[in-house]
Amino acid sequence: MRVRLLYHTDVVALKRALESKRAVFDAEALLDHVMYMFEIEDVSRVTTHQLVRHRMASYDQESQRFSAATKESSVTPKSVQSNKAAMEAYDQGLKAVYDAYEKMVAAGVPKEDARYILPNGIKTKILMTVSGKALMHLVWQRTALQAQWEIRELANELLRCAKETTPELWNKIIER
Amino acid sequence: MKASLVWSSPSPEKTIAVAMRRCYSTKPIEEIDAELDQKGPEYWKYLLAKALQDKSLDVIEHFTMTFMVEGVKEAEAGELARSYPYVRLLRANADSWLISMNGRTLIEMWRNGTSRKTAEVFVSELRSREICPLLIPLAFEEKVGAS
Repeated sequence: MRVRLLYHTDVVALKRALESKRAVFDAEALLDHVMYMFEIEDVSRVTTHQLVRHRMASYDQESQRFSAATKESSVTPKSVQSNKAAMEAYDQGLKAVYDAYEKMVAAGVPKEDARYILPNGIKTKILMTVSGKALMHLVWQRTALQAQWEIRELANELLRCAKETTPELWNKIIER
Repeated sequence: MKASLVWSSPSPEKTIAVAMRRCYSTKPIEEIDAELDQKGPEYWKYLLAKALQDKSLDVIEHFTMTFMVEGVKEAEAGELARSYPYVRLLRANADSWLISMNGRTLIEMWRNGTSRKTAEVFVSELRSREICPLLIPLAFEEKVGAS
């Protein structure tokens, strides 16, 4: 997994504009006006499927209609990795799936149809632009202990980026 | 109504082009970015025109901006918030509002007869600040708006 913050709204510029109108607001009111754009790479489609459920955001994702899938690009959960029998089954399954995918593509099946056989765990890349308010809701839900491990990891990364760059808006967030 | 730009996202046109390429490319973002730098603004313009033509306006959502707007009545602000859920408003004082939106919403606002005048205020402010010199002539002209 790799998460990078591409830009965020300049909070100082917002504050200055409000001050020029003699308006003072706390950080929470500004959250709605601070946008963050992230590039998220090498997470599974399982996770991006959960991510895009957060609808008040903008997404653009690597399309399987147009780009070919490769064998190396699958996320392996720890519970599988740490279990020899499970890992064997996982590897065999992946190999069979990608063999079938490649055979279908070689036989002239369009990628958009061959992809029907691809696994949920396949790695993907996605762009997300989201307001601080929507991001805070996402972080709140997805860093919870009940959240699934991969999106939890992602939510923690998003929080880390937001906290690093705009700490004044995120100070109130409780560390889990 | 008077709008002044408070902040807009960096290199908006290249960012929109990156978002378009993201869908079609398996490459990491640095490589997409380098490719777009190498191909230059003429190529970004081609991609922008394609997004508009295909009505794939989602990529334009990555261009975000905030204005300080004077002379907006409460009813007008409410109308804007109701019509465009992605527009956020914060009242600074009696008739001044901090208004944030993305490029897609601005295009939709511009194309909609009832909010056209409001959109024109934002577009002319972007134009005077030389933000999005490639996108503005493509997106905010009669022939593109007519469907």
